[in-house]
Amino acid sequence: MTEPKSRMLDLGSGRPKLEVQEAGSGPNLLFLHGAGGVAWDGALGILARHFHVYAPALPGFGKSPSEGLELIDDQLELWQTGFDLIEALGLDKPLLVGESFGGWIAAEMAALRPKEVGKLAVLAPVGLWRDASPVADLFGLTLGELLPYLFYDMKSKAAVNMSALTSLMSDKDDRTQAQIDALIAIFLGFRTAAKFLFPVPETGLERRLRRIRVPTLVLWGAQDRLIAPSYAEIFAKQVKNAQVQLIERCGHLIMAEQPEACAKEIQRFAGV
Amino acid sequence: MKFTWFHLMPYRWLPADFRQRYHSVWVDLPNALYDPEKGHDLYNEYLDALEYAEQCGFDAIAVNEHHQNAYGMMPSPNIMAATLARRTSKAMLLVLGNSIVCYNPPTRIAEEFAMLDVISGGRLIAGFPVGTSMDINYCSGQNPATVRDKYREGHDLIMKAWQTREPFAFNGKYTKLRYVNLWPRPIQQPHPPVWIPGLGSIETWDFCAQHDYNYSYLSFSGYKRAQNMMKGYWERRAALRADDNPHSAAFFQQVCITETDAECEKLWWPHVNYFFNNCLHLYPGTSEAPGYRTEASLRAGVVAQFGNTTQNMGIDKTWKQLVNEGYILAGSAETVRQQVEELAKTLRVGHVLLGCHIGSAPADLVANSTRLAGEQILPKLRHIYSDYEDRWWPKALPASRRVKPGATVPAAAAR
Repeated sequence: MTEPKSRMLDLGSGRPKLEVQEAGSGPNLLFLHGAGGVAWDGALGILARHFHVYAPALPGFGKSPSEGLELIDDQLELWQTGFDLIEALGLDKPLLVGESFGGWIAAEMAALRPKEVGKLAVLAPVGLWRDASPVADLFGLTLGELLPYLFYDMKSKAAVNMSALTSLMSDKDDRTQAQIDALIAIFLGFRTAAKFLFPVPETGLERRLRRIRVPTLVLWGAQDRLIAPSYAEIFAKQVKNAQVQLIERCGHLIMAEQPEACAKEIQRFAGV
Repeated sequence: MKFTWFHLMPYRWLPADFRQRYHSVWVDLPNALYDPEKGHDLYNEYLDALEYAEQCGFDAIAVNEHHQNAYGMMPSPNIMAATLARRTSKAMLLVLGNSIVCYNPPTRIAEEFAMLDVISGGRLIAGFPVGTSMDINYCSGQNPATVRDKYREGHDLIMKAWQTREPFAFNGKYTKLRYVNLWPRPIQQPHPPVWIPGLGSIETWDFCAQHDYNYSYLSFSGYKRAQNMMKGYWERRAALRADDNPHSAAFFQQVCITETDAECEKLWWPHVNYFFNNCLHLYPGTSEAPGYRTEASLRAGVVAQFGNTTQNMGIDKTWKQLVNEGYILAGSAETVRQQVEELAKTLRVGHVLLGCHIGSAPADLVANSTRLAGEQILPKLRHIYSDYEDRWWPKALPASRRVKPGATVPAAAAR
């Protein structure tokens, strides 16, 4: 993969300035990240060998100033921001791929303006709720306790990498500026996610699922403990053009834990 | 300076192995542990203690607001204050609830505070906490990314409702009301004094200075650890060109007062231990929702934010450590008096909120502590800062104008 290029994109007056990273060539793929932000070392890097990947960062993520969050007042404006990006990047009916938090945004966008999305791939999206199988509280766990909800194999490379961050959570006041900045970055990203997902990440997506008409791929980690794979069935039942694929030996963060399998499914779905 | 007797109202009957069995005293502690009959005893005992504080000469009595919490059994401080309004007549009523963002519409707070002010003859001090993240985010479901904005809007609505004599429309982002028209309205004009409890965020200092409200630093770690924080407060006020009036600030300090220094540890340690090791047993995962604090405050307090905060909360400390480090001021009245004086002078606070009840302390121990404070501490320290005007104190009706509860039905009063 070539090194992703980063630039700041101005979405127009009264709208946030967002960082967009781009890599690869091929059909356009607009990627909407989850609560952890954009990472290229998993499936996204592989996808960039086959697609022209656009990966914007919401306010508080990456280089996008967190102040921009004040310009996205509610969920409708969040979805509109997604279409602002499509327009500003000059994309025509892109393949929309969203993971977790971003998967919810992608699904809502496809329900809101089905004609402006080419195909939809959602990876363990939030947005649905069943009392019998409550979605774990992303905002009510310490980072160390959250990890087993995100990964099937805590010894996997991705899990071990993320575990390193937990060492920054301590009583000691001996952090370097870079470590403090890393922690602040996590919290600013979570703040953005919390604005739309706190305290219960469900705001009526299920009612709108029937509006999604584009071909839809639903990927779920077979061992996802954050959002149970049974939620995939709701998509299968209510989205007319949906195909569901469970990925084995995989927790919630599909792109990080099973990058090859994840990219392969998306390529197959896109016919690339 | 003035003295307020502040009750947290902890539940006294947490099991001995509470810390091993449960991960927090707050948010998700099963209410199976709460025995309502014991609660009946506790509420009445605690209200007795607050009423007794008035008799002992305290200038004000205080209640606060916590939710789903075993160390603070006052989800509604207004209900507590309402009982006190009827059973006391001299002490001011400091209500360091109401967390504005939790009430919909916020005019409910304007109404209830107005009721308290009218019932008590203008003795109300109105508290407007943002609320802890546990209370407002995890227990009340308020969104951490927007609570401060919602708080400011709710505050503006309440203040306007108190001060406007004609109905008005309020078109806010979080509250829309076609007709705001407060009945009753408060006795105190233009409004009851406002105190804002906080834990040291710069935004709260700025808010207090901007509106000329009292800032009440509610720390459980005592005055010695508060020096830097309050220094920051006074520097910030200077930078904002607000005056250096000591009455603009209040500080909460827990005290254990006994006849002699020698007997204090024996009498109080079990109850102090209960407080620091049970009541402050918190789960870091639900201690602060992302967005509750701003980035600036995060950077200022990065350890408390990201670390396990138990180190500074007094958990696992010995009696000696808690005393030496000022978490509690303990000993004879004279010993405690000296430290309260040092507290007032070093923090430059004109209001001290004394926590005379701690943890599982029984009624008699607390009453004795309260009496000793009233007899031997308050009279000796009141002169401090008396040359500064206290703009943050209620302008109550004269005592002669206040109605004595029961007086209108003499037959009932006689029973």
